[in-house]
Amino acid sequence: MIHFKNVSKVYPTGSKALDDVTLDISKGEFVFIVGPSGAGKSTFLKLIMREEEATSGEISVNGYNLVNIKKRKIPYLRRTMGIVFQDFRLIDKISVFDNVAFAMRAIGVSEKSVRKRVEYILALVGLSEKSARKPSELSGGEQQRVSLARALVNNPELIIADEPTGNIDPELSYEIMELLVEINKRGTTVIIVTHEHNLVNEFGGRIIKINNGKIVGDYIREVEQ
Amino acid sequence: MKFRSSGYLIKEGFKNILNNRMMSLASIGVLISCLLITGAAIVTSLNARSFISSIGDENMITVYLDPEMSDIDALKLGAQIDKLDNVRSSEFYSKTKGIEEYKEKLGDELFASMQGDQNPLPHSYKVRLDDFSKYEETVKSLEKIDGVFNISNRSELAGKITKLNQLVTYVGIAAVIILGLVTLFIISNTVKMTMYTRRFEISIMKSVGATNAFVRIPFLVEGMAIGFISGILSSIIMIAIYDPVIQAIRNISYVIYEASIPISEIWPYIALAFLGSGILIGAIGSFISVSKYLKKEGGEILGW
Ligand SMILES: Nc1ncnc2c1ncn2[C@@H]1O[C@H](COP(=O)(O)OP(=O)(O)OP(=O)(O)O)[C@@H](O)[C@H]1O
Ligand SMILES: [Mg+2]
Repeated sequence: MIHFKNVSKVYPTGSKALDDVTLDISKGEFVFIVGPSGAGKSTFLKLIMREEEATSGEISVNGYNLVNIKKRKIPYLRRTMGIVFQDFRLIDKISVFDNVAFAMRAIGVSEKSVRKRVEYILALVGLSEKSARKPSELSGGEQQRVSLARALVNNPELIIADEPTGNIDPELSYEIMELLVEINKRGTTVIIVTHEHNLVNEFGGRIIKINNGKIVGDYIREVEQ
Repeated sequence: MKFRSSGYLIKEGFKNILNNRMMSLASIGVLISCLLITGAAIVTSLNARSFISSIGDENMITVYLDPEMSDIDALKLGAQIDKLDNVRSSEFYSKTKGIEEYKEKLGDELFASMQGDQNPLPHSYKVRLDDFSKYEETVKSLEKIDGVFNISNRSELAGKITKLNQLVTYVGIAAVIILGLVTLFIISNTVKMTMYTRRFEISIMKSVGATNAFVRIPFLVEGMAIGFISGILSSIIMIAIYDPVIQAIRNISYVIYEASIPISEIWPYIALAFLGSGILIGAIGSFISVSKYLKKEGGEILGW
């Protein structure tokens, strides 16, 4: 479902963020990308969602060949994935419900389907009661769940979470992780980018270690649940 | 684009205008001035053209005869006029016909007492020339004919009006270009500001797979709505001003007033042109800034 072959990314500033990366991630996998700051983790995600273009190498994601993808196809590539941003990226002027609905309206889904689906997803992340609140009236963990709900709402094949546990206390990050595991059990591929080795140790799965733009480790860690 | 989401998108466009009130008002103000100046130039030019065609060929001279002259003598005089070198044709225009025309234009009461012997108008001939450049010589020869009292022609007025019309056309074109550019600039800036204030939403929309066309629609709606509102207001102002101006011209020159295009005939065109060009300028203005913006991706949109 994700295929990188000899991929390098050099930013216009000259910094080499990824250096000859080759890897495959299959459907249904639960993957951690770990590495120190500046290792190239976010760059890896940006290449997957085609916010950035690789300098060299081959990338294909969910059936799209990103080397020669047409500009007008990029939105359709992005509809196959849901992204939880590190800073949540919620719109504070509008309610929790509308924040989640936003992702469906943005791709032209009818209001009727929007309502049903958003209600379902908010229940899934345990926020049904707070759907009329503004994001700023929620705790950090709750905001993150809104962000996750938005990533899930269009039923993507792939969920990517960039530092999902970055700004919140360990207890909350645990909640989020359990949700992601639950989603993965339903068949969705999950990629989690993180600094936190604790999480990795606790939840296990496939672990890809990046350092200085290179893959320095790729193994599966089994954990007793 | 799916039709079912159009209501949502249009609503978003109008929200943009309200959220961005100052710039929207500025755009509307500038667009109205642009439309009104352009419209005034075009309407003036149309009226000038109508006037020029109403006075016919420029090489028409009216020869007024001695008011005391009898009908027979006046008719006979035609032969002498026709004999002149540069005369192509002449047409007798009796004083009875003259008074009838005045009656028609200005109403019965005033001219009722001016029938028959009371008619103060002279007989006249409408004379057409072969070569207008020999105008002066021909006028001199005409003046030499016994019984010719006065010679008037409108060629001078027509010439002036033609020049004025040219001036109005040039000024109009210049005004359209300059104000058009200013308006485009202002509207595209208004939309750019809205996009800037909504950059966060735009980046989220793009990250969840909104097409550029979809992201663009609310901003196009914003530009077009600004154009539409300006078009309506300009039409109202123009139509309100047009008739008083025409009436004022009546006091200055009846001839020009008479040739002017009545409001009842011209207002649908004014309204249509204002609405059409307002919406078009609004759409182009927002299209320019939106297209530039939509080339950006992710962090670039947010300026990170
Ligand atoms: N837009 C950019 N322009 C220039 N250089 C960039 C850009 N984005 C990232 N870089 C550089 O590329 C390298 C990898 O950055 P990246 O953001 O992928 O790291 P990261 O692993 O996500 O780090 P962190 O854990 O701090 O988020 C860094 O050296 C960074 O400075
Ligand atoms: Mg990062």
